[in-house]
Amino acid sequence: MYKFLAVCGFGVGSSMVLKMSIEKAAKERNIDCEVENTDLSSAKGSNADAIFTSQELGDELKGSTKSPVFPIQRYMDKEEVGKALDDFLADKK
Amino acid sequence: MLNKYLSKETMQHAKSVESWEKAIAYAAEPLLEKGVIEESYIKSMIDSVEENGPYIVLKDYFALPHAKAGVGVNEVGMSLLTLDDPVDLKGNPVKLFLVLAAVDSSAHLEALSEISEILMDDESYAIFLSGDLNDITKLITKGDD
Repeated sequence: MYKFLAVCGFGVGSSMVLKMSIEKAAKERNIDCEVENTDLSSAKGSNADAIFTSQELGDELKGSTKSPVFPIQRYMDKEEVGKALDDFLADKK
Repeated sequence: MLNKYLSKETMQHAKSVESWEKAIAYAAEPLLEKGVIEESYIKSMIDSVEENGPYIVLKDYFALPHAKAGVGVNEVGMSLLTLDDPVDLKGNPVKLFLVLAAVDSSAHLEALSEISEILMDDESYAIFLSGDLNDITKLITKGDD
């Protein structure tokens, strides 16, 4: 099972919506995963299999985490999130 | 659940606004009047966009302005502003502003996931984009009969 993080500035609003999109897209792809939503500072130093966040926050995160970071422009866009999941899986192979 | 927060009192419609900053302030006004949030929360929401970028635009035309839970927030709240003319939010046209005020990381989750489900559905989203508050009210009270 993969562990994913959905990250936004405060960990209460946008990241929660992103978590829902990841869960929906993962379900469609039969990906077994656990998604947690959190704020930027808690995401630093995380050991998740992948981190999903915005371009801006992703740039801040790189360097402070070993997890691969996937930028998402529209947190509610299941298709965009799905593409990021596909990229994650392609990297795994 | 959702209609506990989104009611005639907390939903507004306008033809247009001057800027995204004004849109956030205008959208949040009902919460300010009800004492759900303090003036400082409005500034925090605007500052967050400046600092963290426009990721609160969760899909085309829809933004979820919010800031840190419990800071300048007295209780859980939501308010909605629908616009006829989109306003630019750092390169993103926005017609719907849903202000979220959270007190902790959990109390608002049920309502937030409920509204997200609605907005992820293309048909329901079209109703929100139309901006008609009566139709929106019908939509969000549908599940509660």
